[in-house]
Amino acid sequence: MSEIYDIGYRHYDGPRLGRAHSFRALAVHSLRGIFGIGRPARSKIVPFALVAIMLMPAVVSIALMALIKERGIAYSAYAVIMQAVVAIFLASQSPTVVAPDLRHRVLPLYLSRPVSVADYVAAKVAAMTVAVFALVAVPLTLMYVGEVVVDLPGDPATGEYAGSILMALALALLLAAFGLALASFTPRRGLGVASVMVVYLLSSASVPMVYGTLYSTGNEAAASWAWLLNPFWLVDSVQSWLFGTPPHSIEGAAYPSGPASLAVLVLLIAAGLGALALRYRKAAAR
Amino acid sequence: MNTVVAAITYRALLGRRRIVLLLLLPLALIALAVLFKLVGEGDQRTTVLLLQSFALSTMLPLLGLIAGTGVIAPEIDDGTIIHLMSKPISRPVIIRTKFVVAVSLLALFATVPTYVAGWLLVGNEAGIAAGFAVGALVAGIAYAALFLLLGVITRHAVTIGVIYALVWESLVGNLVPGARRFSIQAWGQSVAGQITDSPFFRTDVTLGFAVPALIIVTLAGVFWAGRRLRGYSLTGDE
Repeated sequence: MSEIYDIGYRHYDGPRLGRAHSFRALAVHSLRGIFGIGRPARSKIVPFALVAIMLMPAVVSIALMALIKERGIAYSAYAVIMQAVVAIFLASQSPTVVAPDLRHRVLPLYLSRPVSVADYVAAKVAAMTVAVFALVAVPLTLMYVGEVVVDLPGDPATGEYAGSILMALALALLLAAFGLALASFTPRRGLGVASVMVVYLLSSASVPMVYGTLYSTGNEAAASWAWLLNPFWLVDSVQSWLFGTPPHSIEGAAYPSGPASLAVLVLLIAAGLGALALRYRKAAAR
Repeated sequence: MNTVVAAITYRALLGRRRIVLLLLLPLALIALAVLFKLVGEGDQRTTVLLLQSFALSTMLPLLGLIAGTGVIAPEIDDGTIIHLMSKPISRPVIIRTKFVVAVSLLALFATVPTYVAGWLLVGNEAGIAAGFAVGALVAGIAYAALFLLLGVITRHAVTIGVIYALVWESLVGNLVPGARRFSIQAWGQSVAGQITDSPFFRTDVTLGFAVPALIIVTLAGVFWAGRRLRGYSLTGDE
């Protein structure tokens, strides 16, 4: 006959911090992991090198404003022009958020605490969103501060700046949902990087070609829908509708109607989050 | 060559969902070719544009990256390479086997779709399909060797490879003409340009530079990867 003995371990009777605290802790931990903070130096090289590349056009732009009193890159065009860097950042850092937990199968350990699957996924998406948002918004803010300090003739473009910051948030949410969903399908980091990259390049390399071909054969209406296949141009088309900025597609080609773009954007974010939730429901059951 | 190592590597790369990754880009290339054909743009100019800017400069580097690092990096990443290295198989032979596997996959997933896409659009006109297929094959061999080496050297092989293919070959290569001399893609295009005589295709690296460069990169990559693996020590990351 067996019996459980009380062998004198002390019980924990300190404060229980609850779900909100564990959500915050998980999100902060993931965010630190994305930038390699608290990890060895070689984990910091890639994210910070990409941040530095991302800042370069802003610095050049400030120099232009200071020296020849001219604007460099428009705020609304920044993310579209630098899309390759943002995509590489997303591809290289998404797996660091999701892959280790999947590979070492520690999900049940998280879920044995008050954290639910939804909390876990939301914390990861929040961390990645903040990281991508910071990557885009920091150069924009730097450029805006530069513009105010340099004091260009005329009012500073505050409206355009605020609009581009809002759209950077939408872009970050879309990219984070999709990047994490794609990366979470494999527990291996290399494959995760490759799969995010494959999907991005499919959308970026094929869109101008599809557009050009449809346009030159006289299907202008159908051609403009091609831009919505790429996340950066999709967000830019919403921005151009909401804030009246000129389209930053190649050669300033027109976008399809704004409300439709917004609907596609919302649907895609929902699809990305849905795919993540399904993936983790399955992973948690193992 | 070691057939058992080759079989294990094939299974690791083609098993389960991973084959989807290798299939996505070639299928997109053929879908684009079909789309162009349907809207009636099946002329030499579009074909060259599609094969040059999609097949050679987007699909090939990425497939080279997936195949080249995929044959060895996952095994190093999760430590199972130790089982392979503890067997009495010479390590340069392991590398050579994995290189051959990567090249065969690239021939299947990059060269064949390139030829099919070109053939769908213009048939065998001006040797475009054949030229680009050969260009894709020789550049694929060099990519496989380079990315295999990268996979042995660093755990961030895929990220560094993506930065090389996207930032150096595409972005810098488009802005600074001199950078194109040090781009595997441009060497492949130079070989392709030698076979096709389409007036819409121009290359800017001479064949006399491209061919020796391709051979040197391939041989040096495979040789150095073999040397690296001989003195390899497994260490943790993160």
